[in-house]
Amino acid sequence: MSALPPPPPPQWVVALNSPMPRPSKAANSIPDPPGFTSSNTRGGKQVSLHNPTEMHHDTDRHQRQQQDKQQATRPEETDTLKLKKAWEIAMAPSKQLPMQAIMMYMSGNTLQIFSIMMVLMLFKGPIQGLINTNAAFAKYETPTTKARLVGVKAVYVLMQLLLFALGVWKVNGMGLLPTTRSDWLAWESERQPLERAFFAFK
Amino acid sequence: MRLQAALLAAACVSPVAAIFSDEVNHIDFHHALLGAPSPDSTFFLKPSSASNASLLYTLSDKSILGAVNPRDGALVWRHNISRSASPAGGAGLLRGLDGNNAVVGAAGDYISSWGAQDGKLIWDQQFDGNTVADIELLELEDATATSDTRDTLALISGKSFGSVRRFDGDSGAVKWEYIDESGDIPFQVSSSPSEVFYISLQSGILKSSKIKVTALDPITGRQTGQQVLNTEGDITGPESVLFVGANTASPLIIWTDKAHKSLKINVIGSKQISSLAIDNTSGEEIRQVTVHAPHKLNSLPHFLVHYKTGSGAWAEVYHVDLKSAAVNKAYQLPYLQGQSVIATSSIDANVYFTRVADSEVVVVSSASHGIIGRWNVDASSPDYAQAAVAEVVAKGKSVAVRAVVLRDSGDWQLIRNGQIEWTRPEALIEAVAAIWVEAEEKEDLAHELEVEGHDSIHGAYIHRVKRHVRDLQHLPDWLKELPQRIVSSVLSDEVTNLDSFGVAKPVVVATRNGRVYSLDTGRQGSVMWSVQASEQAWDVKDITARPGQVIIDLSDGSYVSINASTGETFTQPPLEATNVQSIANFVVSDGSSLVRLGAVGIREDGSPVTPFNDITGFLVTTSANGRVLGWIESDNKTPVWEFVPPSGQRVVKATARPAHDPVASIGKVLGNRSVLYKYLSTNLVLVTAVNEKDHVAGFYLLDGVSGKVLHSATQAGVDPTQPISSVMSENWFAYSFFGDAIGESSAKGYQLVISELYESSIANDRGPLDAAGNYSSLHGSGTDSLPLPHVVSQSFMIAEPISHMIVTQTRQGITTRQLVCTLPSSNSIVGIPRPVLDPRRPVDRDPTSAEAEEGLFRYAPFLDFDGKWYLTHARDVAGIKDVLSRPTLLESTSLVLAYGGDIFGTRATPSQAFDVLGKSFSKLQLVLTVVALTGGVIFLAPVARKKQVNLLWKAT
Repeated sequence: MSALPPPPPPQWVVALNSPMPRPSKAANSIPDPPGFTSSNTRGGKQVSLHNPTEMHHDTDRHQRQQQDKQQATRPEETDTLKLKKAWEIAMAPSKQLPMQAIMMYMSGNTLQIFSIMMVLMLFKGPIQGLINTNAAFAKYETPTTKARLVGVKAVYVLMQLLLFALGVWKVNGMGLLPTTRSDWLAWESERQPLERAFFAFK
Repeated sequence: MRLQAALLAAACVSPVAAIFSDEVNHIDFHHALLGAPSPDSTFFLKPSSASNASLLYTLSDKSILGAVNPRDGALVWRHNISRSASPAGGAGLLRGLDGNNAVVGAAGDYISSWGAQDGKLIWDQQFDGNTVADIELLELEDATATSDTRDTLALISGKSFGSVRRFDGDSGAVKWEYIDESGDIPFQVSSSPSEVFYISLQSGILKSSKIKVTALDPITGRQTGQQVLNTEGDITGPESVLFVGANTASPLIIWTDKAHKSLKINVIGSKQISSLAIDNTSGEEIRQVTVHAPHKLNSLPHFLVHYKTGSGAWAEVYHVDLKSAAVNKAYQLPYLQGQSVIATSSIDANVYFTRVADSEVVVVSSASHGIIGRWNVDASSPDYAQAAVAEVVAKGKSVAVRAVVLRDSGDWQLIRNGQIEWTRPEALIEAVAAIWVEAEEKEDLAHELEVEGHDSIHGAYIHRVKRHVRDLQHLPDWLKELPQRIVSSVLSDEVTNLDSFGVAKPVVVATRNGRVYSLDTGRQGSVMWSVQASEQAWDVKDITARPGQVIIDLSDGSYVSINASTGETFTQPPLEATNVQSIANFVVSDGSSLVRLGAVGIREDGSPVTPFNDITGFLVTTSANGRVLGWIESDNKTPVWEFVPPSGQRVVKATARPAHDPVASIGKVLGNRSVLYKYLSTNLVLVTAVNEKDHVAGFYLLDGVSGKVLHSATQAGVDPTQPISSVMSENWFAYSFFGDAIGESSAKGYQLVISELYESSIANDRGPLDAAGNYSSLHGSGTDSLPLPHVVSQSFMIAEPISHMIVTQTRQGITTRQLVCTLPSSNSIVGIPRPVLDPRRPVDRDPTSAEAEEGLFRYAPFLDFDGKWYLTHARDVAGIKDVLSRPTLLESTSLVLAYGGDIFGTRATPSQAFDVLGKSFSKLQLVLTVVALTGGVIFLAPVARKKQVNLLWKAT
C-alpha cells in the first residue's frame, strides 16, 4: 500500500493560517452590525488578536500613568493656563474683523447673490457666537475661574458685537436699513379733504 | 407694499413699450370709415385695364373719397377731399370708367383726379366761389385718346353763369371751355358717342322751368345745336328731373308729372317727348321713382324705372329704339312687399338688373324677363335700404352677383350670391359718445357674502358651509367642462385668454343721427347689435354705464336707457322741459371702483336744474359766457363763487382729475432717498382761458371748493385758432398750444407744457399742514387752510398740434402713466411716457448720479415722438374727436378707445405687460417638460438604487 498524500487542510485551517485580505475602500464604509465594536475604530494601538489578555493589561497601565501626571501639576497653574486659553478664544473674533471689513468693502453695495451670501455669513457668525458664549467657555469654567471668566466673556461678547456691527454697516451701505424718509412713505397716507367738489365740464 | 415696490421698480426700468407686430389686430381694432356713401357716386370699377378684380369706389357724405376691397370690406385708400373744398359744398360727385386708371371726384369748388389703384393724386383744380355741378368722364374714341386716362367734362356753376370745361386726363389742363351766360341754372352734362350735351334749366313762369339742351362739339367745345323742351308744369327745379342719362348710347332725360301719373322721356338731341302712363296696380300712392340705366356707350339702350310705394315696390323695363327714338315697355318686375332696391350692371353690351328684396336677390337681363339668377337671402333689416350697386359676372349660362346695399344709416352690406359677406358700419363715423359696458353684477353672491358679513362667526360659518354644499350641484357640470378648459388653456395663447380680466369689454357707441352700436372689442370691434334709438338726430350730453345697461342723457332732459346685451331701448321723456348744457355726475372713487351718487343737469348759464340736496359737496360748472361757477348743494340760483378770468379772456375749457385716478405713492422718492411730497387734491380744476384779441392764453389752477386760484400761468403769442388741449391727473397737469415767437428767447411752434405740483420745495417736508390727516378749503384759519402748491414746470417743443389729451388709467395707479395725445395732422394717437415729460429733468447739464438713479436724464427742448410711442402704429386713424381710457383688472393694462371719426380701440401697457405671460410662454411646453422629467425620474430611480446597493456590497 503506497502512502496516500496527506488530505488537503480544510478551508477554515487555510483561512486561519493566511492573513486577512486588505479590506476594500468600500468595505470601510459598511457600518458595523449593532453591538459590535471594532478595535480598529477605537483608536489606540494595533493589537494582535492572538492574546487579548495582554492588551487589557497594557491599556490599564497607560491610563494609570496619565492620572499620576495630572495629579502632579498644581491647580493654580491649570487655572492660569485655562484663562490664557479663554482669552485666546475671546480675542479670536477680533482677528476676523480686518479681513471681513476688507471683504465687505470690496464686495460692493449691489444686491447680488455673492454679496448677500457674504453678508448672511457675516451675521451668522456673531449670532451663533453670542448664543454659544457659555458653551465656548464651558471647558475652562471651574469654580475657581468662574469669577475671572466674566471679564473674558464680556470681551468675547464685545468682539462678536463688533463683527455684528460690521454686518449692520454693510447692510446699511446696501440700503437695506429703513433709515430714510422714503422707507416709511408707504405708511404715510394721503391727506383727505373735508369738502368734496364735483365737476360738470363738457 | 413690497409687491408694489417691486412693481414700481419694474415700471421704472422700461417705460417704453411698443406694440409687437403679432399683437396688431389682436389687442387693437380699427374701423377705417368713410361715412354714408352717396348712391350716385358708388360703383364697382376695375382699377386699371390690366386688372381682373374690381374695387368698390365711393364718395361719402363726409366728402371722403375711398376705395374698398369688395372681398372683405377693407379700405384700400381714402382721401378727405372736403379739406381743400369750400365748406358750403353740396353733395360730392365721383365718376369712374372701366379701362380708365383714374377716378375723378368733386366736392364743392374742388375737383380732383386720383389714381384708381393706389389713390395718388393725378391733378386737382379749385374754382373759388363756384361749385362743381356735374362731372362726366368722356368715353370718346377720338384720335387724341392715346393714354389710359380719359378726359373729364365738368360743369361749373357760378353766380350768373354756367361753364362746361374739358380737362385733360393726365394734366388737368383745360382743353376748351364753353360759357353760358344766359342766367339758366346749370344742371348736368352728358355725352353721346359724337356730342357733348350741356343741360340747363331755363326758368319760366310760375316757378316752373324748361329744360334747355345745348349740344357741343367734343373736340372744340363749340355749340352745334340747342333745344328747349317744353316741360312747363312738370319741372320746378333740378330735383324734379329723375334722370339725365350720361354716357349712354342714347342719353335720356326722364321726369314725371307731379301726380306720378305718367313718365316723360326725351332722347337728348331730339325735341320729341314720349309720355308713358304709369300703370299703378298696387293701390297705393307712389312715393319714389328712380331710373336705372347703364353708364356705358356700347350698352344696349335699355333702362329700368323703379316705383316705390309706402309698403312695396315694382319696376318696369323699357327699351329705346335708336332709330325712331321711340320708347317701349319691355316687361315688368312684380310688385313685392317690403324693401327693394335695384342695381344696374353691364357686361359688354348686355345690361343686367339686380333686385335686392327682403328675402331674395334676383338678376334679370334687360333684354327679356327671364330670371337668370335667384338666391334666397335674408337681407331684411329695420335699417331702410336706400340703393344698391352690383357687379354681375357671367359664368356660361348662369351668373354670379355681388351686390352692395346702401342703407339709410350709412351702413353698407355686401351680398355675394345670396350670402351676406360683410357689413361696414359707416354710421359710426358720427359717433358722439361712447362708453364701456359694465357687466351685470352677480347679485346673489354679493348678497350672500353680505349676509355672512353681518352674521355672528358661528352663524356665518354654518351659512358658508350650507352655501358650499348647495354649490356642489354645479360640480358635475364643472367636471364635465374641466377637460375642455384644460385643453383650451394649454393650447391657446395666454394673451387670448385675458377676457376674464376685463380687457375685452363691449363698447356702446352713440352716433349723432340717433343710432347706438355695441362693438365687441375682443373681436376686432365687430358690431354685436345696432339700434335706432332716436328717429331723428339727437344731442347727446352724457353717456353712463350702469350694470347691464347704458344710459344716454339728452339735451332736453330726457334719457334713453339701453340694455347693454340686447340693445333694447327705453326712452324716458323729460320730467320738465329744460335745455341742458351738460350733466354733472356725482361719482366718488371707492378703492378701485366708482360709486355713483346721482346726477343733475346743468343749464346753459351754468346753474344746476335742481338743487342737489342729497349730495354733500360742491359743484363746479362752466357757463356759456366763459366763466367758471361754484355751487353749493342747497342753492341752484346763485353760485357761491365765480371765477372770471382777467380782462378780455374767456374760459374755453375746464378740466379736473378723472373720477378714477388712484395714487400709488403720495411722494416722489429722490435719488438720496428723501421724499418730495405730491400736492394731491381731488378738488383741483384746471381752467384754460383765451384772449382772442391779444393772443394770450391763461391757465389757472383753482380749488373747486373755494374757487381760490392756486397757480396761474400766462402764455403770450398763443394762436387761438389752433387746438389748445389740457389734461390733469395725480399731481400734475399738461397743456399744449401753438405759440408764436414774441421775444428773443421764445420759440415759435407747438408747445407741450407740463407742471408738477408738490407740497413743498424742500424734500421730506409736508408743508404747513405737515402730518394733518385732513384739510379744509373753507374752515381753515391761518396755518391749516389750503396751502399753495410748489409748482415745477417745463415746456417741450413738439412737431404737431395736439387736439386732445387724456391720461391712461390703471386699476391701482402703480403703472406709469402715459399722456395719450391725438395728433390730427398725422392721423395718429401717441402715448408719451410720463418719465420723459418730467419737469425736473436737468437743464443744460448731465444728471448727477442721484438724479440718474431717479431716472432723470438731460432735458432736450425738442420732444421727438418715438415711433414706439404710437398707439396707432401704422394705422391711419382719422378724425378723432375724443379718446377714452379705463382700467382693467390687470394693473399693467389700460383700455383706450378713440372715436369721433374712425373708431380705434387698443390696450395700452405703459410699463409693458408685466403681469401677463407673453406669447412666447407655452403652457404645453411646460407641461411636457414636467411630464418628461417625471418619466425620467420614474425610469432612473430603480437603476440608481440598484447601482448604489451594488456599490456597497461588491468588493473589488
